[in-house]
Amino acid sequence: MASKPQALTSTGPMRAFATSSKKIATELIEINEKLMEFNKFYTEYYKQLSDTWSVAQKKVNQKVPDVPHDVEQFEAFKRIWIDIFDNDFTELFDSEKFGENYGKLVSKELELTKHWTNISNVILQSANLPSKEEIDEVYKELHALKKRVTKLEIELKRKKEDKR
Amino acid sequence: MRSEARIDPKLVEEILKFTRNVVDAPKLVAAPDEINLEVTPHEIAQVIDKTRLLHYKPLTDKQHKTPLLISYALINRYHILDIHPEKSWVRNLLEQGFDVYMLDWGSPTSMDKYLDFDDYVNGYLDSCVEFIKDETSTEKISLQGYCTGATIATAYTALHPENVKNFIATAPVIDGWRDTTVISNLAKHIDVEKMVNTIGNMPPEFMYYCFSVLKPFEQGIEKYVNFFKNIDNKKFVDNFLRVEKWLGDTPPIPGELFKQWIKDIYQDNLLIQNKMFVGGSHIDLKKIDMPLFTQVAVGDHLVSPECSMPLHYAVGSQDKTLRIYPTGHVGMIASSLSQKKVLPELGQWLSERS
Repeated sequence: MASKPQALTSTGPMRAFATSSKKIATELIEINEKLMEFNKFYTEYYKQLSDTWSVAQKKVNQKVPDVPHDVEQFEAFKRIWIDIFDNDFTELFDSEKFGENYGKLVSKELELTKHWTNISNVILQSANLPSKEEIDEVYKELHALKKRVTKLEIELKRKKEDKR
Repeated sequence: MRSEARIDPKLVEEILKFTRNVVDAPKLVAAPDEINLEVTPHEIAQVIDKTRLLHYKPLTDKQHKTPLLISYALINRYHILDIHPEKSWVRNLLEQGFDVYMLDWGSPTSMDKYLDFDDYVNGYLDSCVEFIKDETSTEKISLQGYCTGATIATAYTALHPENVKNFIATAPVIDGWRDTTVISNLAKHIDVEKMVNTIGNMPPEFMYYCFSVLKPFEQGIEKYVNFFKNIDNKKFVDNFLRVEKWLGDTPPIPGELFKQWIKDIYQDNLLIQNKMFVGGSHIDLKKIDMPLFTQVAVGDHLVSPECSMPLHYAVGSQDKTLRIYPTGHVGMIASSLSQKKVLPELGQWLSERS
């Protein structure tokens, strides 16, 4: 598991393995903590949905107290049900409380993803493979190079046109 | 028991018929990959990275002198503007004698995460404009932007007004704080910095989530109920599947572009306040001084009219027209209303200036 050849001769492969294991264990502990926070917002998310559903259903029941018996009544019932549910849910999705909780939920999900990436990086490095950050650096460099090439191409084109 | 006895047999028949339609659906409808969304013949005029410039073949003997470039949105693909021969935005313009080009942004991958507003405005869009100018030997072109593509086109037009003869903004995303849609509420609460730093590009799944909260019961239930009810109607099924295939094809948005997009447009609302910078250059909407045609839809639940209309009042143009249509975001570009009203009005306006 040693990623550095010199580690083999000095302290042996177990040293790198122990370091990697410690890093992974730390990440897993932090994931657990984050999961608790994530669950808080996740529960709130479904609570908001289920509360809105209950209120909307009550409104439908008040508006259409009888079970539809023919095609026309059924179509009318469906229209009322969809309109009330769409209105109530759009109101929820438009609200500050939904937006705020949704933002926090996504934020926690991203933090969990970050920990997973960190674990993956430890494994990748133990196998002498580039980490996500290292790949990102390559992408960044490529992007900057492409921009420079495009700029130079435009300058070259302009100079050619000036010569004509 | 008495209640059950009163149920109209026609209702039972309807339910049974509907169930049969659901069961028979796989035999009657085409698989998504059997549907070709590229309707109107075109050639690939230019390819840069993953973007492509499409040039549509003319359908009239005589054409207007000024070519038209369409900057499609960043969400979904350009196919909706040419979704069906009878509802094709592109075909209609070709039939009115315009020389039409379309910018396909392509599908960015992880390696494109550093592409930003500057790359899209001063890179891809500018190179397409320059290509068309060379190809058609014209000094200026007409530029149309749709949805988020109109925001990119707005930034471009403000920075390079010398290249744009006429500017058409169709449902442009301009004033994020005035936007009353669910999307803007979500966008305002997202930690976009963390999102881009963690996952790179904006994943399509995030967009699918945003779609799912827009009229969820109309779009998630009624739409499919209608589909199964009309399963024998070939025309209806064909139209439905084309739009569904288009809806299911959302490419990722490059991380840096998405970050600036959410921050500058929805969170800080810099564009309409003339405080936005692209590639170090200041975007001043007053520099848009050529003829402007703004199209908005009252029923737009993706970009509300309040978000689009401020462009009309913010530009420096003297010759400007604002049209409001009784339809939705997609209805404005791919419906019978767009063919009968939106496009003839646009065509007339544009032909007088082309």
